[in-house]
Amino acid sequence: MGRADRISAIFWLCFAVLVVIQSYHLGLGTLHKPGPGFLFFWVNIVLVIMSLIVLIRAWVGKKEEGPQPAIFSGQNVSKIVSVLISLFLYAILMELVGFILITLLFFIFILRIIEKKGWFYTAFVSIVVTVISYLIFETWLQSQLPKGLLAFLRL
Amino acid sequence: MDVNIFQNVLYGFQVALQPLNLIYCFFGVLIGTLVGVLPGLGPAAAIALLLPSTFKATPVSGVIMLAGIYYGAMYGGSTTSILVNIPGEAASVVTCIDGYQMALKGRAGPALGIAAFGSFIAGTIAVIALTLVGPLLAGIALRFGPPEFFALMIVGIMVLTFLSSGSMLKALMMAAVGLTLGGIGMDSISGKYRFTFNIQALLDGVGLVPVVMGLFGITEVIENLETEIKREILTAKIKNLFPNLKDWADSIWAIIRGTVLGFFLGIIPGGGAIVASFASYAIEKKVSKHPEEFGKGAIAGVAGPESANNAAAGSSFIPLLTLGIPSNAVMAIFLGALMIHGLQPGPLLMTRAPDLFWGTIVSMYIGNGMLLVLNLPLIPLWVMVLRVPYYLLYPLIILFCMIGAYSISNTTADVIIMLIFGIVGYLMRKFRYDAPPLVLALVLGGELESSLRQSLMLSRGDFSIFVTRPITLGFLIVAVLLLIVPIITQRKKLSTLEESP
Repeated sequence: MGRADRISAIFWLCFAVLVVIQSYHLGLGTLHKPGPGFLFFWVNIVLVIMSLIVLIRAWVGKKEEGPQPAIFSGQNVSKIVSVLISLFLYAILMELVGFILITLLFFIFILRIIEKKGWFYTAFVSIVVTVISYLIFETWLQSQLPKGLLAFLRL
Repeated sequence: MDVNIFQNVLYGFQVALQPLNLIYCFFGVLIGTLVGVLPGLGPAAAIALLLPSTFKATPVSGVIMLAGIYYGAMYGGSTTSILVNIPGEAASVVTCIDGYQMALKGRAGPALGIAAFGSFIAGTIAVIALTLVGPLLAGIALRFGPPEFFALMIVGIMVLTFLSSGSMLKALMMAAVGLTLGGIGMDSISGKYRFTFNIQALLDGVGLVPVVMGLFGITEVIENLETEIKREILTAKIKNLFPNLKDWADSIWAIIRGTVLGFFLGIIPGGGAIVASFASYAIEKKVSKHPEEFGKGAIAGVAGPESANNAAAGSSFIPLLTLGIPSNAVMAIFLGALMIHGLQPGPLLMTRAPDLFWGTIVSMYIGNGMLLVLNLPLIPLWVMVLRVPYYLLYPLIILFCMIGAYSISNTTADVIIMLIFGIVGYLMRKFRYDAPPLVLALVLGGELESSLRQSLMLSRGDFSIFVTRPITLGFLIVAVLLLIVPIITQRKKLSTLEESP
């Protein structure tokens, strides 16, 4: 895990240093009256030290290892990325478009474009899932899902 | 004292037997079993994503349902282990070894049966013990002040990092990150905003629920998309669910040993069901007269671990309900759930909300009975559920997570936070960082900070308050030992017991 450890340790090191600086500005207070940054300042000082240990270990242990295995196997990367993008789009557009339409679009995208199922199957499953999830969460559990474009229907 | 417990249990029955609570209990164990059956959706994620749906219910009903999901999942997990050789959740990993072998030999029925009966026996004994031990522990904890709680929480975090599956150093780092994340939002003492970077969504802090749903739910989906699960399902008809006399003779002691072991491992913070099931398998193999049968379909290898994980699931409620200290990731979410419902877990819970405390405990007796009745006849249904292909399952899991995250406070901010933590969680797995310490520290963060600051105010800035009070000192010594022991002894992790001969 040499290379992976170096990358992750540097990340956490930056994270911790940033927090230490922020906490310092928040005010450490005194020991009698610890300020809002007190705990986080010290916890992240420790995190800095721990990241450095991981980093140094990874550097020292580096020579013994042979060729570095890739961190990401490359399998299905494009699939994962497209699913993730669709998820972020879902989250961002959810309130604008409304739960019903966005869920339909999401399932059509996953089943038709990512999983390459037939049109009929895609349409059938997407509609069934959308209707049932709407009935469960909106009608039965009374979650307040966004209505969006379909607000005029007053469902 | 004894009369008191009797009265309290009776009171618990009054609460748990209210029709509404019975219904919630029923749905809890049903959903729990379903979650246990479905690979790629563990109890932690399931409880997190169903948490918002309990907001409308009373705290008692909500907690009864969430508890049902947890121990129900322990039941359900065994079904997939035996029939498909894929553990529905981590605590059933060992059940695969002998359970699947039994299924291959045409003995899937007795394997499923003994798993269900063993779980029932263990679950019931654990709940009875919980009834007896709970008040005792809470009584002791009543004398705790801020320094004791601070030290106890430190022990909890140390134990979880000690038992983490990967590097302990990295687990500790994650605890530090979790503590820091818990600090986001408004500081309750000074009223200052911390680490919000003027982002609107961060003003109220990073919620536990979206973080957990991301780290456990979304991460799981991404990981499964990468590896593409291929499953083969046993198509043979399952008959004879009832184990015969010889099966019982072979497994009764395994059930009892598994129960005792699971119970004690469940109480220890950081222990829990997963460790218990591995430890039980190792012990059964050691004490067996026919150790060569293990791995080839020994019924004791199913009965022991299945009992152990259920007993641990029951007893892990003890530190949560009596001390307010969650012993594993699932209990950490529970702690969050109780807080969202306006309840402060800890020694006072029993006196402040007796209906919740005793109602939940008694609902577990009832739930265990329901599970036994439910499980045996419903096995064909669960097998059908298993046939749902993954390309349908993962968008559904994602959809539930999205709805769950959104309905926490009806904002998309929580959904985005969940998605970000989904990616973070995936990267953490890739780079071998454990998620549970982060979750635990995030949950405890607020309490930990206020107890530290209160202690220091109490002692006027004198750190010796942590070493002059005997209980506090004791806890801190344990914490330091947990830190030092692995460095000296090159600890052998419990999680590696899996394949030890």
